Amino acid sequence: MAIEQKFTDLINAAIDGDISDREKADLDAFLASSDEGRDLYDQLTNLCSALDALGTEEPPVHLRHIIMNNIPTESRPEQEPHPLLSLLNYPALRYAGAFAAGVLVALVIIDSTRVSNRAFDDVTGLVGTVAEPVESTGAQMISVDEIDVAGTISLRSAGSIMILDFDLVSKDHIEIEADYKDPSIWFNGFAQLESEGTTVAAADGRVRLGMQGKRRYAVYLHNQRGHETQVNLRFLADGEVVHEATLEYKPAD
Amino acid sequence: MSKTDDTKLIERCREGDREAFQALLVEYEKPVFNAAYRMLNSRDDAQDVTQTVFLKVFEHIDQFDPSRRFFSWIYRITLNESINWLGRTNRLEPLAHEAAFEGKGPEQEVESAKVSSNVQAALMTIKSDYRSVVVLKHFLGCSYVEISQILDIPEKKVKSRLYTARQQLKDALTGRS
Repeated sequence: MAIEQKFTDLINAAIDGDISDREKADLDAFLASSDEGRDLYDQLTNLCSALDALGTEEPPVHLRHIIMNNIPTESRPEQEPHPLLSLLNYPALRYAGAFAAGVLVALVIIDSTRVSNRAFDDVTGLVGTVAEPVESTGAQMISVDEIDVAGTISLRSAGSIMILDFDLVSKDHIEIEADYKDPSIWFNGFAQLESEGTTVAAADGRVRLGMQGKRRYAVYLHNQRGHETQVNLRFLADGEVVHEATLEYKPAD
Repeated sequence: MSKTDDTKLIERCREGDREAFQALLVEYEKPVFNAAYRMLNSRDDAQDVTQTVFLKVFEHIDQFDPSRRFFSWIYRITLNESINWLGRTNRLEPLAHEAAFEGKGPEQEVESAKVSSNVQAALMTIKSDYRSVVVLKHFLGCSYVEISQILDIPEKKVKSRLYTARQQLKDALTGRS
């Protein structure tokens, strides 16, 4: 038998704590006499608990930065934003499949012997294609939230390859130095995952990246022995260090 | 944040004070993003809608009526932008039940503690007008009166929509059409 709308409403009101004493007495009397009513009460209570338990999502760390970069410096709506800033106004690029099986990415493949020991070699122009490794493990992620640059960098591994995945936005040109002192590790490649225009230069034990705007790219390091190591990151704006961070790689047991 | 605090920040925003706007952004970024996320079930889409909402707030801050609460204005913009987004991406129609759920038995869906993803999926099966009320009530913690002000509908209609939405969610989770 269908439950009267009046009692359905009372059940909902009781769940929300919006019920008078008299209504509560009516509801209690109804529930005492109706198995169906008690089932509905339990189900709606559980549903509301489940809704309340869903919790909150943290917004992307760079979102605030992007929004502030898009606010005109003067409150004149007709003012055209800087061409660079308009880049940041585009809807977020869709890259859900970027790490899916079989996705091809533009990738620089570098033979370690081609990287000199002292000076940085610009390797931006050396582009090929390679399948993105599917089986990657051990992701460690850090967030950057500075005035000059914001976003995330993660480190994960696929076999002997360590992948540094940069997802950053910067208003002006910045440089990032990734330092890995372990001599058994060498720079093995670079991928523009969903943007172009990032420059990369490699030296022994160090990679230097240059970027401006919203960029996502990956740096591949060869860790032949697969042992524990760390990559030190330095973010520079106008030649000054604005942020430093360290990503650590620990092989799975 | 109190109404007084919001009002002061809005006054400063109207004078072009970016720090005041940033303070509003810090305060409301998370609820706006979460409301959009629950409406759209996509972090990428929620990010885009959140950007749009704050840009609209900045551009139209002169149109805000200071006699009202700021949160009701920004939440209304958020829900409208989310619904517009659904329209632009042809997702206004609720998902088919089969597309949202797989596998589990009906009783477990409601009673299990591990129903988060299915509850979110169930949300996408109800109409956006009803989803809006659920989002305001359960994710933004608004009262009936506040929801009534945000959506500009009578309180009685708020309750009616909320109760209907819950019934539809329950039916979706228990596999009833």
